[in-house]
Amino acid sequence: MLDIRSLSKKFGSGAGAFHALKSIDITIEEGEFFTLLGPSGCGKTTLLRMIAGFEQPSGGQLVLDGKDIATIPPNHRPVNTVFQSYALFPHMTVAQNVAFGLEARGTNPAEVAPRVDEILEIVQMAHLRDRKSSQMSGGQQQRVALARALAPRPRILLLDEPLSALDLKLRKQMQFELKRLQGELGLTFIFVTHDQDEALTMSDRIAVMEGGTLQQVASPRSLYDHPANRFVAEFIGEANFLPGTIVDGKLFLAGSPPVPLLREKKSRGAVAVMIRPEQVVVGATSEKAITLDGRVESLVFSGTDTHVSLRLQNGTTLSLRSPNTSHAGTALADGQALQVSLPIDALHVLPEETADAA
Amino acid sequence: MAEKRFDVTHVPGAALIAGVTFLALYVPVLILVVNAFNGGDMAGQWEGASLRWFAAALDNTAFRNAALNSLIVAVSAATVATGLATMAALAVSRGRPVKGQGGIFIILNQPLLVPEIVFAIALMIVLARLKQVTGYQGLGYVIAAHTTFCIPFAFLPIRARLAGMDLTLETASMDLYASRFYTFRRVTLPLLLPGILAGFMLAFVISLDNVVVSSFVKSPGQETLPTYLMSELRRNLTSEIYAISALLLFASISIVAASWVVTRTKE
Repeated sequence: MLDIRSLSKKFGSGAGAFHALKSIDITIEEGEFFTLLGPSGCGKTTLLRMIAGFEQPSGGQLVLDGKDIATIPPNHRPVNTVFQSYALFPHMTVAQNVAFGLEARGTNPAEVAPRVDEILEIVQMAHLRDRKSSQMSGGQQQRVALARALAPRPRILLLDEPLSALDLKLRKQMQFELKRLQGELGLTFIFVTHDQDEALTMSDRIAVMEGGTLQQVASPRSLYDHPANRFVAEFIGEANFLPGTIVDGKLFLAGSPPVPLLREKKSRGAVAVMIRPEQVVVGATSEKAITLDGRVESLVFSGTDTHVSLRLQNGTTLSLRSPNTSHAGTALADGQALQVSLPIDALHVLPEETADAA
Repeated sequence: MAEKRFDVTHVPGAALIAGVTFLALYVPVLILVVNAFNGGDMAGQWEGASLRWFAAALDNTAFRNAALNSLIVAVSAATVATGLATMAALAVSRGRPVKGQGGIFIILNQPLLVPEIVFAIALMIVLARLKQVTGYQGLGYVIAAHTTFCIPFAFLPIRARLAGMDLTLETASMDLYASRFYTFRRVTLPLLLPGILAGFMLAFVISLDNVVVSSFVKSPGQETLPTYLMSELRRNLTSEIYAISALLLFASISIVAASWVVTRTKE
């Protein structure tokens, strides 16, 4: 178990100081696939480099198995990293690269070779053990980098955007393999990415970061269904925001009569109401819903469904999906008037943020 | 359509200038090599091909002593200079910036800034005194003097190699339980080796053909190959000098070619 306590990082000092991390608290469980997700510059890589030992924290603790490792140099930490650029040693063969960590640690030489063979077998690279890294494809280098980091049996494996250099098809395949490998080894993975799809498909839990702070830590499902704020809602998937007001447990949206809220009864005053495009229903619904009228502004065909952009009467735009089932009698047309329903259950009331309160 | 870049080969007369330059550079050298194989007594009068002057040169004790001195000086100076240059290159491109780094560059490049003759005369004055005081007259002075001007030549390829090296490799090594020294021995040094070899060979060649500093610093009776050739030229102009020059040329070309091959294959 890795306990990150009030960890902060400040570059520079005085007025020009840059706070890369502002007091981060996370507890990463044993055997968890944990992802740090956020746009570039959010501090996710700084946090990873601090866990690896490449950066010194300005404050806080990193407690691994009850011991604070924050000031221990990287070569004495039981964590290994898969680098974005792979960083394979170009003058060594695949086998020599994989053996490096074991040898540097002073492992009994008789145990090095069997471990190298075993781990190369796991990543399916045994047949290329005598190749130099410059003679391999990106995907192969990726596997060797993974094998090299796994060979010394780290307590935690750190992965710094390891799939970003691969093409889409290979990336999908490696996502699947990484997830499978993590499950088989039962090892804790801390994975850094800016790709929300990658994070959603692979992770047990995701920490969404922005501007050096944690926005939300949750499972992919609950991040998507219950985003804590507007940033998370927008970063994970697509979202519509409608301005509204809550008075006495009733939601007032422009262009519709007030409706009583089932959840989020605590909120009051000006709010942003979020709904995912796929939860907007075309026409009427039997559920409790808000109905709104609008005009179709654009239609983009995308295979299984059509992305519809609707201009509401109150001026805001609403995105929704219209499934392209063969028996769908209602083919939509540009400029067509359309009534949509927003099921009350699908609405998320988020605090209205005063125009970028940063 | 791609924009056409300025191409110097399309300037009228470019080919002619290139041709003349090439001839001016290589024809005299070619003439020298041909003359080295002249069988006649008089330099410049062709009397059939022969290896006789090469044999005479190799038989000449004064030449052999001078050649040996040159070899000792070049190997020693290049070795010391390469060692120092490697350390300097590591110091300025790894870790925190050293205080007064600009000053270090000026010191390193002193031999490129100060005219060689000025440096030679300055050394002569100081070393003459030192020789008097210590009584030591050996090759050590020449070696030390050569080391100083070999350093920048050794430094440049090593620093270039270091600058082109991915720092993440050293980070990765530290991540994999390697200490600083283990990282240097197993990652940095092997990757730096082609640069070090190139630096050494460059320094070696620079030392091998130095005349000015050697003439001013050497003790009486000491000769290096270039100073021996200079003094021989004043006395007798036989084809032996061409033969010796040709030998020096072959040695120099082989070393540069070898360094080129080594650096190429390692990359």
